[in-house]
Amino acid sequence: MKMADLPGSHLLRRLPVSIWGLVVIVALVALFLPGFARIGNITNVLRVGAILALASYGQTIVLISGGIDFSIGSSVALCSVVTALAVQQLPLGLALTAGFASIIGVGAINGLLIAYLKLSPFLVTLGMLLLVHGFAAIVAGGLPVEVPDREGIHTLSGSDLLGVPYPVIIAGLAAGALYLLLERTTLGRSWFLIGSNLAAAAATGIRLRRNIFLAYVLAAVFVGVAGLILTSRVAAGEPNLYPTLPFETMAACAVGGIPLTGGRGSALNAVIGVIVIAVLNNAIVLLNFPAYAQLSLLGIIMVGAVIAQGMPSWTRPSRIRSL
Amino acid sequence: MTSASNVGPDPRSSDAAVIATRQPQAATNEVLLEARAVVKEYGSTKALQGANLVLRAGRIHALMGENGAGKSTLVQILVGAAVPTSGVIAMQGRPVSFDGVSEALAAGVVPIYQQSSLFPNLTVLENLFAFETAASHGVAGHKSARRRRSAKQMLNRIGLAVLLDQPVASLSLGEKQLLEIARGLGRDCKLLVLDEPTAALSQADTNRLFAALRQLASAGVGILYISHKTNEIAQIADEITVLRDGVCVISGAPLKSTSMQTIVSAMVGHAFNVGEKNLPVVRAPVLALVGAALRIGDPEVSITVRASEILGIAGLAGSGAEEIGAMLAGALACSRGVLSVNGRPVGRSGDRATAVAAGIGYVPADRSVDGLFPGHDALRNASASVLDHLTKFGLLSRSAESIRLSAALTNVSLTPNQPRRLIDEFSGGNQQKVLLARNLAVADIKALVLVEPTRGVDVGARDIIHDRILMAAAEGLAVVLVSTDLEELTSLSHRVAIIRDRRLTTELPRLSSPAAVAGAMLGENQ
Repeated sequence: MKMADLPGSHLLRRLPVSIWGLVVIVALVALFLPGFARIGNITNVLRVGAILALASYGQTIVLISGGIDFSIGSSVALCSVVTALAVQQLPLGLALTAGFASIIGVGAINGLLIAYLKLSPFLVTLGMLLLVHGFAAIVAGGLPVEVPDREGIHTLSGSDLLGVPYPVIIAGLAAGALYLLLERTTLGRSWFLIGSNLAAAAATGIRLRRNIFLAYVLAAVFVGVAGLILTSRVAAGEPNLYPTLPFETMAACAVGGIPLTGGRGSALNAVIGVIVIAVLNNAIVLLNFPAYAQLSLLGIIMVGAVIAQGMPSWTRPSRIRSL
Repeated sequence: MTSASNVGPDPRSSDAAVIATRQPQAATNEVLLEARAVVKEYGSTKALQGANLVLRAGRIHALMGENGAGKSTLVQILVGAAVPTSGVIAMQGRPVSFDGVSEALAAGVVPIYQQSSLFPNLTVLENLFAFETAASHGVAGHKSARRRRSAKQMLNRIGLAVLLDQPVASLSLGEKQLLEIARGLGRDCKLLVLDEPTAALSQADTNRLFAALRQLASAGVGILYISHKTNEIAQIADEITVLRDGVCVISGAPLKSTSMQTIVSAMVGHAFNVGEKNLPVVRAPVLALVGAALRIGDPEVSITVRASEILGIAGLAGSGAEEIGAMLAGALACSRGVLSVNGRPVGRSGDRATAVAAGIGYVPADRSVDGLFPGHDALRNASASVLDHLTKFGLLSRSAESIRLSAALTNVSLTPNQPRRLIDEFSGGNQQKVLLARNLAVADIKALVLVEPTRGVDVGARDIIHDRILMAAAEGLAVVLVSTDLEELTSLSHRVAIIRDRRLTTELPRLSSPAAVAGAMLGENQ
C-alpha cells in the first residue's frame, strides 16, 4: 500500500485502525436503517453515548495502566442512591456532590487495595462491583428511591446548548481533558510505562504506588461525571442502575483499539469505540430486536475485538530474536 | 564449602555405556541439513543474498555475524519458521521445504531458544514428556516406570544430574538449559540449533553445557551454535560460518585454520582493535553500601565506589553478585545496611524512585524483564527516568523530550538512528544502548550500576557500550559493572570484587587475567 504518496497521508496514518471499522459500521447502519440518519435519532445516540463515553474514559485510564475496572457499574448505582437519599435533606447541588464523592470513594478504595496492597485489579474491582451493589441496595432499602421532579434534577441530562445536549458537550470536553492527561502529563505517561512493563517502570524510578493509586482515583473522576449525568437522567436512586456498564466500557475500549493487556491506548481510541457501541445499540432498537439481543451483541463485539487485536501475534514468526 | 549442583563436572557425563545405548543416528560427517544460495527478501530489503550453510553430523558449526547480518533470518529458514524467497534447503540430500516449525521438528531439526519454553511449575519428568503428554489424548502418566527409566537415560545423555520429581523452578539456569536440550533430544533429534545458549549462564554452567555438546557431537548429532562470544566459539566449534549483510564472508571454514582476528574482522568488515583501555584517574568516594545484607542471616557486605572509578563485580550465578548490584542501585531492599551517595543516605531502601533522585542510574540484568517498555518507541523508552525534567508549565513538553533524548540516543550511536521507531524493532545491542541512554540523560547522575550490559549483544554494539561506560567514568561517575563476561570485566574495571556465597571474598587489581577472576569466583587460591 503506497499510502505515503497520498496528500494528507501523514494525518491518516496517525489515526487508529479502528476508525475504519467505525466508518464502515456507521455507513452500513445509515444505509440500511432509514431511521438512523435523522437529527433527532443521532442526537439521542450521542446523548446516550455520552454516559458510556465518560465511563469508558475512566476504563481507558485503568486499562492503559495495566489494570481493569469492573466496579464502574456499581459505583454509578451507588452515586444515584446517595444522591437520591441526600436530596431529601440537602440542596440538589450538595446532594450531587455527595453522589460524586461516593464514586471517588470507590475509586480510592480500589486504588489503595491495588496500588498499596498489590492485590489483583481483576479480583479487587470485581469484588467491589458486588460489594457496592449490595451496599447501595441496603442503603436504599431494596427499592428504587424516587427524586421529586421539582428539584430540577433533569437539567444536567435534559438541557442543550444550541441543539447539542449537555452530556455530549461534557463528554467532548472530558475527551480533551483525557487527551491532555494521557499525552501531556508525566502522570499520564507513567501509566503507559507501568502498563507496558511494571518491573521496568519500577527500575526507572517511577513512583508506582502513588501513580497506580491516582489511576483509579482519576478514573473515578470520569466515572463520577458519568454517574451524575445518569442520576440526572433516571431521577432516582437505583441500586441496580446500568448493570452492563463495565462490560460496555470494556467492549468500547477493545473495539476502539485499546488492548486489554495495558500500555497502549488514547482518548481517540475510546471515543471511536464508544460511538461504535452506541450506534450498534441504536441499530438494535431501530430493528425492533428485543433488548436482550443487545447483551449477545456486546459479547460478540468484545470477543471479536480481542481476536482482531490478537491477529498480528498469530502470524508472527517464532521467537528467534535478532542476534 | 562447595555450593550446589551447578559447580564442577558431573561424573556421569563421561559414562560411555550410557551414550552407547543411543546409537549415532547418522554416520559422522554425513551432510544433514544444507542451505544453498538462499535469498530472503522482506519487501525491498534483502535479508539474505545467497547464503550457503552445510551442517554435518557430529560437527559443531558456529554461526556468527553482527546484528542485521541475516543470522536470525537464516536460522528461521532452517527451522521452518520462515520460507526463503529463493534457494534450496536439503535434508540429508533431499530437497525439503518446511512448512512450519513442526515439520522441521519432525525431520529432526530441534531449535533451543534463548527464552525458556519449560513449564516452571511442573517437575523435571513432566517437562521431559510435556509434548508427548500434550499429543496423547488419553490419561497421562501410565507406563510410568518405563517413562522414568527413559527419562533417566535422556538426562544421562547430556550429563544432567537432577531428580526426576524436582520442580523445574528449583533448577539453576544452566540446568534448565540442559533440561531443555534433553527434552529436544528426546524427539529423534538429528540437528540441534542453539541460539545464544550461554547468554544467561555462569562459567560453570557454560562448561557443563559444552561438555554435553561435545558428548552429543561425538554421538553423531549435528549442532548449529549461534553466539556472539568469540572465546566460546574458539572453545567449542569445529567449523564456522560468518554472515555479513546477508552474504557468507566465511563459509564453513574449519576453526583450527581460522584466527579469531580473521573472524572478528570478517564480522565487522574492518580490523578490530583489542588493545588495553585507558581508565580515568579515580577521585573521591561517591557511592557507598555499608554493612548491607539482603536477607536476615546473610553476611554483611560493604562496598565503596569512587568518582571516575569502574568497580567490577564478579560471581557465579546464584553467588549473589547480581543482587549486590541491585542493592547498590537501590533496586532491592536490604534487611540491613545503608546505601549512600556523597555521604548522604538514600532514603527508602529498595525504592528506585528515591535512588534516581539521589543520582543513581541502573541498567538491570535482563532488558526484556525489567528494562524495556514494549510497544513504545525508543524515545519514550529513553525518557522514562527524566520525565519530571521535561515539563513546561506543568505539562510534558514533547519538543523538549524529542530534543533532549534524540541527542542522548545519538550519543550512544543508536542504529538505525530513528528515535520514533518501536523499541521492539531494534536489535538487542541497540535496545541495550537505549537503556544506557536512559540513564546518561539524567542531568545530575552521580553513579551508574550496570548488570550484564552487553549480554547477548554483538561485537560492534559491545564496543560502543564499553566506550560510553568509559566516557561516563571519565566524566566523574562512579560506575559499578556486574558481569559474567570476564573479558569485559577485566578490561574495563579498576578493580574486580569477587562475590561467593553472598560474601565479598576478595578483590583483584587492575589487569588481572580473566582466568584469575574465574579462579577466584570458583574459590581457588583460598
